[in-house]
Amino acid sequence: MVSRFYSVLLFMALMLAPLTGQAQEANLEINTPAIANIKQSMQNRHTQLVQYYTSGAVGLTQDGMVTMRDANAVPLAQRQAVNTLVAAENQDRAALYREIARANNHPEWESKIRATFGQRWTNLARPGWWYQAGGAWKQK
Amino acid sequence: MGRINGLIRTMISYSRRLRYARYFNSNPMYNRALIFLFAVISCYILVFSASAARPQLRFSVEDIKSPVFQTKSIIARIDSGHSGAQELTIGIEEITVQNYALKDIRVLCRSFQWHQKEIECTNGQLIARDLFVSPVPMQFVATRSHLTIDLRPSGSERWQFSVQWDDAFWHVVLAIETGKMTHVTRWLPDISDHENFPKLTEGTFSGRIQFNGDLTGLTSAHIDLSVDVLAFSDPTGMHAGENIALSVKSNVMRNPQHQHWEWRGDVLWQQGAVFWQPLFFSGADHYLNVQGVFDGKTLTLQDSHLALSDIGTVKFSGVVDWPDGMVHRFRLDADNIALSALSEQVLKPFLADTMFAELEVSGQSDFTLQVRDGTLRRVKLSLDDVNIVDQRNRFAFHRINAHIPWRADNTTVADISFLNGHVLRIPLGTVRVPLEIKDSRLLLPQLALPVLDGILKLEDFSAAYTDDGWRWEFGGELTPVSMEALTEALQIQPMHGILSGYIPKVRYDGESVSVNGVLQINVFDGSVVIHQLKLIEPMGLTPHLTADIAMRNLDLGLLTSAFSFGKVEGRVDIDVNQLELANWKPIHFNARLFSSPGSYTRRISQAAIRNISALGGEGAVVAIQRSFLRFFEEFSYAEIGWRCALRFNVCYMGGIEPEPKSSYTLIRGGGIPSINVMGYNRDVNWQELITRLQRITQENEPVIQ
Repeated sequence: MVSRFYSVLLFMALMLAPLTGQAQEANLEINTPAIANIKQSMQNRHTQLVQYYTSGAVGLTQDGMVTMRDANAVPLAQRQAVNTLVAAENQDRAALYREIARANNHPEWESKIRATFGQRWTNLARPGWWYQAGGAWKQK
Repeated sequence: MGRINGLIRTMISYSRRLRYARYFNSNPMYNRALIFLFAVISCYILVFSASAARPQLRFSVEDIKSPVFQTKSIIARIDSGHSGAQELTIGIEEITVQNYALKDIRVLCRSFQWHQKEIECTNGQLIARDLFVSPVPMQFVATRSHLTIDLRPSGSERWQFSVQWDDAFWHVVLAIETGKMTHVTRWLPDISDHENFPKLTEGTFSGRIQFNGDLTGLTSAHIDLSVDVLAFSDPTGMHAGENIALSVKSNVMRNPQHQHWEWRGDVLWQQGAVFWQPLFFSGADHYLNVQGVFDGKTLTLQDSHLALSDIGTVKFSGVVDWPDGMVHRFRLDADNIALSALSEQVLKPFLADTMFAELEVSGQSDFTLQVRDGTLRRVKLSLDDVNIVDQRNRFAFHRINAHIPWRADNTTVADISFLNGHVLRIPLGTVRVPLEIKDSRLLLPQLALPVLDGILKLEDFSAAYTDDGWRWEFGGELTPVSMEALTEALQIQPMHGILSGYIPKVRYDGESVSVNGVLQINVFDGSVVIHQLKLIEPMGLTPHLTADIAMRNLDLGLLTSAFSFGKVEGRVDIDVNQLELANWKPIHFNARLFSSPGSYTRRISQAAIRNISALGGEGAVVAIQRSFLRFFEEFSYAEIGWRCALRFNVCYMGGIEPEPKSSYTLIRGGGIPSINVMGYNRDVNWQELITRLQRITQENEPVIQ
């Protein structure tokens, strides 16, 4: 169920409104074997991360990444594992944005693509999840 | 009046005690400021008033200032009740110790006895809201040479403070039973008040803290405490500990002969867990011992060690200038360190967002480090039967043994060997590397690295660590490697022949591996020249490879038999330009296959024709099936051609002719019998094309009906 939700989430993140400004022509739906691998990896990890989004331990940042927002919401013995999970998710997200930019033959669009995704992840977040806006944390 | 004289004597005695405080610190500034017993000791007998039944004695001290503490406005009052019992009330407006102030402290003593040589309170209360939420039961006894204060805040918690003194010595003892750590948090160093610094949230401690001194000041201190259920956290929980049990012992002794302090501290970690991002530390029986001397100018560490269960013991010693912190000398020795535990607990958390995030390391290591005058001078690392395995299967090295010395002022030679390993699935054999190390540069004039059944000869390998990470380069040569072994290792379609070639200068710039020049390989009895070869983020999540490849005079017999494609005799040239692989799969190229110029046998089997036409359309197969040609097993051909431009997962195909048309010629017949094979599908999904090819090559011998 979670995995299916994530597929929809990822699909919508890739489909929604076009990029603005310089990256207006970017095709976010573009698919390459590398992008497919990254998306699969993110989808697999989402089942582990969703509980931490819900508890507020992990939040969505403005630049399309995730971060440990409130480690107190995680039992001490699990904090390192969640920290590692967050690092792995951010590695995948960074790779995803880089690959989409490369696949569009515009590696310089990476930061624009990252910012656009940041907005989309926030729009698609479930009620109760935390996200960064204007440098402050807000809850949906 | 005898009581009043006694009180005055007590006050005089107190003044003498204040004078002793001078010796706690020899700083002249403090000496000047030492004790200002400000003015007013207004000791006045106010009331043996008209009501002789309720006499009252009251005195006040305005300010006491010393280097150790300051007080404001002390007022003491003794009341005599109707029954003859006396009550003592002491009010202190403020006590300040090390910039921390306690305000509005009151002592109420309802059972108070005052004799010529002793003051005793057996039923008192201490009200200090900055320390204790509610009044704390207390009792105290004071004589001319002894003061004991006994506090019992709650349950089993007890704080007993006692001071003894005479003309030559003084002793201060704090004995604690199940004392709450939260009472002392305000007395911890300033940094604990920093907003994001972890704060104690729970914990108790029991034991004794003792200070001894004489007229010259402090002579020794002893701490023997056991800490239980200690917990701390910063606001974000990224630096926190829970359920920690420690035993802490420390001794500090002044050595008047050498004019220095001899000190020792022992901490035994009995249980608990700490998360200090990104590290998680738990377990039991970790032990820290530090000892040395302090002469006011230098802090000397002697024979100290840290023993971490599961990992090993680290010994260290050194000399640090005081108070600037300059490390004059430092030496650290770690023997028989268990790398598996070290990697899991210490190294991996720091590598979480790097390409080495999923390393598994086992074996043992020795490590030595020396610092002199603030500069790292020597490092020595020894590895003993160490295995390094990437869990994502990108590389592995087994049975590594190494002796790696490094000196800041000299060139050293490391001796590194491993039994076997692999990089990107390509097996490596046993090798021993004599590596020169100079500053942050590594040099290796020559190395023969067994790769499968061949040898990779590296020449002039050099690597350097810069601000942007590692850089390296080398040149070399690959002596013949059988394609069967290579394709088996890479788990791809088996091929025949040999792979060998010259390797020009190869460079890694921190992000990409690039070949400066051309890479030449001999395969399928022809040659392959690779230009512009570049491997971006080779160990990253999605490595990219870009290149232009020109293959010449490949033997089609060897090539097609490798892929079970159906027999084709002849030779072909293949150009693959602007090739880009992402995660080792093609995402972009312009490919062209065409018959090599020259004279050679050009024949193709029905099976191969069927398979080729399956790629470009079914027309040829239908033509064969409907004509007499189906009676021939093989055909002659004049020319073979195929083109594919891969864009966004679509292969835009063509044949011998360069111009795009609705159909294109894949095989142009020649001789007898001959056949033309046309293609009709111009746009084919790349994955579908691959699937077709795989299906064809899995069907060893297609049947022509």
